[in-house]
Order: sequence, then structure tokens, then C-alpha cells
Amino acid sequence: MDERLTKALDFAKYKQSLNLQRKNLREKIDGKLTYGHNGGIFKIDRSLINFVELLINKERTINVPLLDSNENPILIENLVAFRDEILDRYMSSVYEYAEQYEKIKKSRSVEKLLEL
Amino acid sequence: MNKGIIVFAYNSRKVDYSLLAIISGGLAKKHLGLPISLITDQSTVDWMNENNTIEKANEIFSSIILTERPQSENYRNLSDGNEIDNIPFINANRYSVWDLTPYDRTLLIDSDYLIFSNRLRAYLDSTDDFMIGKSMTDLGGERVGTLDRYVSETGPNLYWATNVIFNKNKDTKLFFNLVDYIKENYNYYSELFRFYPRPYRNDISFSIAKHTLDGFTTNTENSLPSIPTITDKDILVDVSVDGKLTFLINQGNNDFVAISVKNQDVHIMNKQSIIRNKENLLRLI
Repeated sequence: MDERLTKALDFAKYKQSLNLQRKNLREKIDGKLTYGHNGGIFKIDRSLINFVELLINKERTINVPLLDSNENPILIENLVAFRDEILDRYMSSVYEYAEQYEKIKKSRSVEKLLEL
Repeated sequence: MNKGIIVFAYNSRKVDYSLLAIISGGLAKKHLGLPISLITDQSTVDWMNENNTIEKANEIFSSIILTERPQSENYRNLSDGNEIDNIPFINANRYSVWDLTPYDRTLLIDSDYLIFSNRLRAYLDSTDDFMIGKSMTDLGGERVGTLDRYVSETGPNLYWATNVIFNKNKDTKLFFNLVDYIKENYNYYSELFRFYPRPYRNDISFSIAKHTLDGFTTNTENSLPSIPTITDKDILVDVSVDGKLTFLINQGNNDFVAISVKNQDVHIMNKQSIIRNKENLLRLI
């Protein structure tokens, strides 16, 4: 086989592994951003964090009903503690995402990608 | 409310499902922090005794529940990478989990579903009576076809019974009774929904039961997350001491791409490749 084609196919294989590693990392982080509270299931994202912060700013902090990911109303007894928990989980997940993403970006071979 | 996990295992001549159940059960117990019970038959227990795996089973399972071995003429093609084998598939009594489970709230998992995170714990702690995997996610790319999404080309949504959570109450009893009815009338339902009736698939019976009880509509709300899946054409080639799983993803034409997964639940359909890595997987329990 022509050396140019061999090299291109080797690179294509590396890119396939790279893309799958990125996709699966997103899937893993998505799982970490699922939070169960008082029988409800919340997907932690910027919108939830902002909305909770808005309610706290409006001094609605005790026994606040929120719609969870399935649109079920879930009573949050202490919204400040809830905010702290989801913010902590969000930031630790995103830090992990950033760290792993950077490692994937810097891995220039399939072998390096698999070390992560 | 007591919560726990159930796994089924009936050994066949070609697949040691008891070993798969020990591995998947041990990982589920470790990562979800809940008791787990095994549903099996005497011949599978005899096999575990002969192969000295019964001690490990007793360590992992808080109870081993014996049933009659389901009568089955069910065979399916199962790949191990590029190799294909036609194996007995003993899965006909999954509906009986409602009667057999010792738990008020049960997570039912397939024995080839390996849990490495506490993701499902949030769902176990939720209040929904019944939840099932809403779809599958291919960790090896985008190889999800119509029949991975739907019961048939014109049929309802396909849910994945790889993970099911249910409360033991009269509503869910209705569901599992309906699954049993669909199993008994599988040929009729295959005509109605136009799917091929062989082999019998729990995913299909569960999907039709859910579709029926949802008022003949698709309702993926209150479902379990999509099932991260590695197909049976892919191969688990290595399990490291820190829990990283390395797979070769089959691209066809004997062409493979490597990926790794860590701290992530994964449905590994290539059962023989789980068994080949048994020592390293058992070390992670």
C-alpha cells in the first residue's frame, strides 16, 4: 500500500478512537450530573443552578417545589443546601471533564488515548 | 422500604451465566451499596459447587433464590468479535421477578451489565413505580439501527430491559402479568407489531407491555437513562487494576478501533469476553 495512504489510514484510526473517547467522556459526565433528591431526579445544568439561585435571591428558600427532569414537582425543604449540593456536583464534574478533555486533546496516539 | 438488586442466571452449555452474575452482582453491590439476590436453578448451583465459585456467590448474594429451570427452545446468534455461535438463551421467566424479589423496590439488571458508578442510585431513590431503560447508547460509535430503537420498522418504541426498577405493588403486578401474557402469545404479538418472533426477547415483551399500559402511546418520561452498550461484535480485551476497561470496536472487515472506559456503567454484550477477563474483573469487586 502507498505509504501516504497507510499514514492517512493510521491517522484516521487515531481520530476514530479520539472521537469515541470524547463522546464517552461526555456520556460519563452526563451521568455524574444526574442528582436524586427527595424522590425526584434532577439533571444539573446551568439553567437549574441559575433558577435556584434566583429563587434564593428572592428569599424563597424553605419548602420550595421544583420540577425535576420528569416534570414532577419535588419539594425542596432547604433550597440553600440544595443549591450548594448541585453547585458542588456541577463544578466537580466539570473540573473532571476539563481535566480529562485536556488529556485527550494532548494524546497524540491511540496508545496514549487508552492510558487515560 | 427495603431496596435491593436482582440478577438472573441459568447456565447454558456454552455460557457460564453464573460467573457473569457473580461479576455483575459484585460490581452492582459495591457501587450501589445495596444487597443483591440471585435467581437461578439447582443445576446452575451444582455447576458453581463443582467450579468452586459458590463461595464467591455466597459472599456476594444475600440470597440465592431457586426456581425451576425455564423450559426454552430459544436460541440466538451471539458473536464474540468476528466469531458467531448459536447458543441457548434461557430468559423466559423474567416476568416472575415480581413474585420472586425479596425487596419492596427492586433494580433488575442483566448479568452482562457491569456497574462502575452510582448513577442508578438516584433512580432507586426516586419515587416512580416503574422505570426501564429508554434506549441504548453505542459506546463504539453510532451503530444504533431502527431495530435498536423500535420493536419493528412500524412498531412502538423499544425499551431496554437491561435495567428495570420497580416497586412491588398492584400496578406493577399488572405490568409483569402482562409481560407473561405477551410471552405466552408472542407469535400473535409478532404478527400484530410485525417483528420476527425468534428468538424470544424480554426487551420486546417489556416494551409492548409498557406501550399498552401507557395507553398505546410512547412515554419515555420517568425512564432510566439510555443503556451504554458495547455490542457482541466488539471485544473486551483488557481490564486494568484501576478499573479501566479497554475494548476493540468492530468496524467490519476485520478492522478494529480501540477505546477505553472507566468509572462508567457498561452493557457488554460479548459475554465470552467478560469471562476471558474474569480474574481482573473479580479483583475489582
